[in-house]
Amino acid sequence: MAIAASGRSVLSLQGAAFAEHRRSAVPALLDLDLARSEIVIVEAADEEAAASLVDLCLGLDDPRAGRVAFLGAEWRGMSMYDRLDLRRQIGIVGRTRVWPTHLSIAEAILLPRLYRAQRSRDELIVEATALARHFGLPGLPTDRREATARRILVRAACVRGFLGTCDLTVIQDAALDEAAELATPLAQAIATVKERGGATLWITENLGALGARFVQADRAYRLGDRGLIPARRLT
Amino acid sequence: MTLAGGNRIPRSRPRLRRVLGSVGAAVISPVRQTLLFASLAATVLVVGLSRGAWNRQVWVEVTRSLRSVAVQSLGTAVGTGVLVGFVLVAQAVYWLGVTGQTGLIGPIIVLVLVREIIPILTGLIVFGRSGTATLIELGEARTRGWLHLYEMQGLDPLTLLILPRVLGFSIGAFCLATVFLLTTVVTGYLFAYALGLIAYSIWDFGELVLRALNASDFIVPPLKCLAIGFLVALACCATGLGRGGETDELQRLVPRGFVRSALAILLVNGLLDLVM
Repeated sequence: MAIAASGRSVLSLQGAAFAEHRRSAVPALLDLDLARSEIVIVEAADEEAAASLVDLCLGLDDPRAGRVAFLGAEWRGMSMYDRLDLRRQIGIVGRTRVWPTHLSIAEAILLPRLYRAQRSRDELIVEATALARHFGLPGLPTDRREATARRILVRAACVRGFLGTCDLTVIQDAALDEAAELATPLAQAIATVKERGGATLWITENLGALGARFVQADRAYRLGDRGLIPARRLT
Repeated sequence: MTLAGGNRIPRSRPRLRRVLGSVGAAVISPVRQTLLFASLAATVLVVGLSRGAWNRQVWVEVTRSLRSVAVQSLGTAVGTGVLVGFVLVAQAVYWLGVTGQTGLIGPIIVLVLVREIIPILTGLIVFGRSGTATLIELGEARTRGWLHLYEMQGLDPLTLLILPRVLGFSIGAFCLATVFLLTTVVTGYLFAYALGLIAYSIWDFGELVLRALNASDFIVPPLKCLAIGFLVALACCATGLGRGGETDELQRLVPRGFVRSALAILLVNGLLDLVM
């Protein structure tokens, strides 16, 4: 997967309002520009608002007003297949409880990167195993969701999101905010993304979240009724 | 209810409207379902015919689906074949023997077994063994959030969830039907031979059956199995993915899927009988 060209905006929200059915989330217009190698943390205390923001950034919801663009291409007006193609360049670190029921955890981790990817399965397994070890797992979990402990699922979700070379990594899950033991590996993984030119957007419940305490964010915002307001992190 | 001018609206009108409304709803709902199902079938065919849809992960899913239908259901198909063989072939042989019409064994087996019973029972086995699993798997896709996760990850649910099952079920149904037919015919012969109802060899028995077959019997019954597998998979995928949410209980999906699959099986069987 290609990394966004130098200087090009990876993710851009210009006066974007949440979709009609998400109107209750936050009524304000949102402005955010995320360049390559940038790390931005957004505090969204409301879980619904956080989920809405993720869906807006990923082009799953069209904004009621304004525009949302990824790699310079506006989501609105794109066909479903173009949106799917583009979304494969986004790593999702989150939804730690959500795993397909018919796949093992290892298969579910590899699936997004094997789908239409040019890389070999073996190559991806090596990379995924290294990432799994980085996040404190002995290897790729091979059981299904029901047979896998919660703490392993949280770590496996990190492997799933950081695997590959995505242009944008979106992190959003309350379990990651609270995972103090993952603070160092997460900060290292985000630093690696930054080094290779990828952008990171962490949507957290609290700017002082334990899981994000070692992340060197370039900017921080608070999502509220007046939109995305610059905020200071207490480190 | 009165109007400002004091004119009364006839009482029968709201009731008539209600009756017409409920009749309309009873007609519109199945028509809408049928049209949605037809459009899904057309979409799957169109997407399936495009080369771009068949990437390696889709083939992995096809293999998984095929294994579930053709390998894991093999025991059921053989078991059912033994029972049907005993009941049908042995009975046919016995009664044709009693009436002195043993020469009709081939045509009777071809007519009843190859053209009708095997495709219908294969469809029911495919539904029972693999269709129900698909209903439950996909019925949880929305409520457990992994359908949304697929979309977030840029994974197309149509090519990853529906297309492989449709192909796997179609090929699997054909394979199962072949095993089922062979088991039924061989078992029927062995029972009849063991009970002394027939005295000729299995090769002569096979020849009787083969002679009764015409060219269309090599095309239509296999086509029936492929179409039945296709529609059972489609019915199960559509029913599972169409689950309303937590309020739509998972237990209600299986009977709903069964009715749709059974209707699809009988429809395919009937339509292709007309062709024959």
